[in-house]
Parts: sequence; C-alpha cells; structure tokens
Amino acid sequence: MALRSISRRFGSRVLSYRSSSVASLHSHATSFGFQQVKEEEKSKLVGNVFTNVASSYDIMNDVMSGGLHRLWKERLVGKLSPFAGMKHLDVAGGTGDVAFRIFDAVNSVKRRALRKVDEDSLEETQIYVCDINPNMLNVGKQRAAERGLGDNKALVWVEGDAEALSFDDNSMDGYTIAFGIRNVTHIEKALAEAYRVLKRGGRFLCLELSHVDIPVFKDVYDLYSFKVIPNLGELIAGDRESYQYLVESVRRFPPQEKFATMIADAGFEKVEYENLVGGVVAIHSAIKL
Amino acid sequence: MFRTAARRLLGAGFTTSRLLRLPKPRPTTIIPYSYCTSSTESPIGNQSVNPNQSDTAREEGHRRDESSRKPRAEFEEEQARVLAASLRHVPRLGWTEEAMIAGSRDVGVSPSIVGSFSRKEAALVEYFMDDCLQLLIDRVDSGLDLQNLIPSERVSKLVSIRLEMQIPYMSKWPQALSIQAHPVNVPTSFKQRAMLVDEIWHTVGDGASDLDWYVKRTVLGGVYSTTEIYMLTDDSPAEYRDTWAFLDDRVKDAFDLKKSIQEAKYFAQDIGAGVGKSFQGLMNGVMQTMSTRGGRSSAF
Repeated sequence: MALRSISRRFGSRVLSYRSSSVASLHSHATSFGFQQVKEEEKSKLVGNVFTNVASSYDIMNDVMSGGLHRLWKERLVGKLSPFAGMKHLDVAGGTGDVAFRIFDAVNSVKRRALRKVDEDSLEETQIYVCDINPNMLNVGKQRAAERGLGDNKALVWVEGDAEALSFDDNSMDGYTIAFGIRNVTHIEKALAEAYRVLKRGGRFLCLELSHVDIPVFKDVYDLYSFKVIPNLGELIAGDRESYQYLVESVRRFPPQEKFATMIADAGFEKVEYENLVGGVVAIHSAIKL
Repeated sequence: MFRTAARRLLGAGFTTSRLLRLPKPRPTTIIPYSYCTSSTESPIGNQSVNPNQSDTAREEGHRRDESSRKPRAEFEEEQARVLAASLRHVPRLGWTEEAMIAGSRDVGVSPSIVGSFSRKEAALVEYFMDDCLQLLIDRVDSGLDLQNLIPSERVSKLVSIRLEMQIPYMSKWPQALSIQAHPVNVPTSFKQRAMLVDEIWHTVGDGASDLDWYVKRTVLGGVYSTTEIYMLTDDSPAEYRDTWAFLDDRVKDAFDLKKSIQEAKYFAQDIGAGVGKSFQGLMNGVMQTMSTRGGRSSAF
C-alpha cells in the first residue's frame, strides 16, 4: 500500500540518521517503532520520547483518541473493581490518569457509606504510581496538587523501571499498566515483575493499543495512524518523530492472542482480553494464584 | 448429570471473553431433556418400576460423567472456595461485594479476586443456588424415604427440603431474589430454577412426555416461587409452619388442576355435542317449517 511505502521511506531516513548505532547491531536487537536498535539504546530512546511529550501528553491523548482514552481508562478501573485498603501499583502511569481514577473509586461517597465497621478497612489504601521518566512523574504530581491531593498519603509517586521494580514480593493487590507495556524493552521481564509483586489473588490489568482485524476499519485506522497522528504531533506538540514512534510501536507490539500467551507464560491464571473499538485498544486481565 | 451441569453453570460466566489457560471445553451434550427421555421408557402408570429404571439411568449418567469430566482449572477452584467462604458473611453483610471481600480474606487470597467475577453479587447467588441443588441431590441419593408417600406429598417434601436450605439467609433473601431478577442475571437464574424443578419432578417419579412435561415443570415452578415469596414474610412460630401449610395447599391445587383440566375438556366436549345436537334439531325444525309454509304458499 502507498501508505506503507511512505512510512518505510520515512523510517529509512530516520534509520540512516541513526546509522552509527545500527551498524554495531548484534544478536540482542529490539524494535523502536519500525527501527531495529540495540536493547540498551531502547530505554534511552523511549526516555527521550517521553521527556519530549510529557508536557503535552494529556492534550495529545485527548486529540488523538477524540477523548475516548478517558472511557478506556474508566473501563480499566471498572474491571479492576478497587476496594478500600488495597495496595495498588500503576506502572508507566506517569501523569496519573489511572491512579486518580482508582483513588476516586475507592473514596467515592457511595463506597464510604457502604463501608462497614470492619477491622480490615482500617488498612490504608495505597496507590503507587511508578514511571521510569521523572518528567512524566512531575506532571502527575502537578496534577495531583491541582486536585488538592498533593499531600495525600494514599498516592505515592515512585521513579522506577517496569523490568526491575523496587517493591516487595507479594505486596500488591492490583497491578495496572496503561499504554506503557509496548514501550518496555523486555516485555517478559515486565510481566515477570508484575507476577512477583502481586499477592495471591491479585489482578494484573493491561490497557494497550492493539491490533485491528476488521477489514475496512483496519485500513481506516492505518490511514489515521500514519497520516493524521504524526501531523497532529507536529502541530500540537511540535514533535513529529515521537508520535511516529508511537504509531510504529503499536504495530510492532504482539497481537492480542500472542500477548495473552505471554501473560499466561509468566504464570498468570484466567488470562482474558477484551477488545475495545474493534481492537484499537485491548484490555488484558489475569489473576495471580 | 446435574452435578456436571451445575458445575458447568459456574463456568458459564467465564466464557464471555476469550480464555486461555483453561482445559478443553467440557462436552456440553448433557441437558435435562435427555434425562427425561431415558425415564419415559418405563410405562407411565407403573410407579414401582419407575424408580429402579431411573436409578440405573442415573448411575449410567454418572459413570459417563466421571470419564468425560475434566479437572477444574485452578482459578475456578479458588473462586469456588472464595464464594463458599463468602456465604458465611452473607447473613451479616448481604449478597454484596463486601461479603465477597470478607470471604476472600478468610481464604487468604487478595480481595482483588472479587473483581474477576463476571457479575459479582450474582456469582455469589448463583453459587448458592447450585450448592443447594447439589445438597438436594445428595440428600435424595443418600436414601430419602419417599416410597410411602403419594406424589403430591413427595413434591411437598422435596420443595420443603430445598426451601429449608434458605432459612439461614432469610433476612437477606429478598436481596438475592432481586439480584436474580436483574435482566442480566435472568438467563442463569431461570436455568437454575428449571434444573431444580426438573430434578424434583424426576425424583418424584415423573413419566411424562411432550406437552405434559412442560406443563408439570411450569406449574411446579410457580408453586415453588410463590412458596418462596410467602416464606419471606412468614413469621409463624415453629419454623415456618404456615409456609409448609401454604405449600401443601398449592401442591394439592396443582394436582387438582390436572384433574380439573381433564374435567374441563370432557365438559367442553359434552357441551359441544349438546350444542351440536340442538343446533341440528333447530335446523331440521326450520327446514320443516319452511317446506310446509312453502307448500302452503304454493297452494295459492
């Protein structure tokens, strides 16, 4: 298709720019969008992307998804079914979208009214927001302050790597990763870490852009991804390359079934996924037993 | 047979989205209707032959089940354990997520697992219904004496045994009923009640076929539901004595209903015959008068 050749040409132009790193490729190469890069490079490159986009991340999300990303995150939190006293970890949750929703769900008036006098509810809810990029965390902390949650002990902002979490084994009731796992260099490691930190009965939920198979819609989606989004990135965030990386990384991410298999391989049970908007986004869920 | 069907119901909620890590789907060929056809081979009026035949049929069914039933996935076992533990909290907390969270803590599992139940409170209620059906079957299998009772009394006894299982939860049972009545939950609750009613009729020694089979189950379904609702507001002394009296009356009515329908049928036939005869007589009379009149007029 004409689109693909255009994107390939663009990709190859960027490839020649980074030829120095590509020239010394050895067997441990990974993908950075449609490019092949060394593994050590990937996290740095991703870091650069998110440093660049941090300030306009939320606006771009709204524009790119037409506001739909809010509904997707609502659905994610709904599926999680948060409860008072839970210890939750939101990985790659930089600007805090998911974390705020979980906080609201736990502290909503209805829940407080229903809370019976129970010894266990005296346990404090703790929501940890972990992100590898300090810029994203700063934006998140700012947003928390705007909401009046700046000093709230329930929200804890931690800088960390999804592949090497600093949390104890069996310490978390829930683990979510929204639009973050495709940026991880070694997905299996991130899944293994998720398995490690979750308690028995804890749930793993992953919200991620995924693969569309519906015939006509697929082409519309591809057109939108490769034509419209990088241009929007340039217009609004002033950064075409980062958003080009974004749409390419979505294509490189394993499809729903494959990812579900990877989750199962990490040891999780009851692995399921739900497609939203025909596969544009998928929520994978699993339990650790 | 009903045991696997009951277990299958527990699994029904898990197949809405695609699943991995699950053994191959169990063969779903076992349905209530097939059970009935095996018992209709015995002559309808012969009560003594029926129970034996149905017992062997059930044994066969069980042997078939053992070989075809695959081990349950670990998470299903865990979820069942959580639900069983949650039931202990229901009288205090109701059929709610709180009860399930408390149950999960009892089992030593993170309360997050409650989020993985497809319809949360409904899952708890459905588990209870399946559990009660299982207890009823076990009670019947372990030698419940029904030989000396007439069919209507057998039905009464079985229904009362089943309803007694709900007594510990009676304060919260209206909530369970309203959960079962939610449109989302209706298919499963209807199926469970249908299975219950079918099981009762089968134990009583039902030899019906075709339309009668449906009529019997529908009528018993109605009797069961009305008694269940009556029980909610019954605070008679000595353990729901009024409810059992109500039940006996309804069951008698149901059995009488069958006779009444027969009588109504004969009555209608008689009337039809009578009306037909009198209509014929009328027509003859009319023809005669017309012909005589005609004859007279032609004489002009």
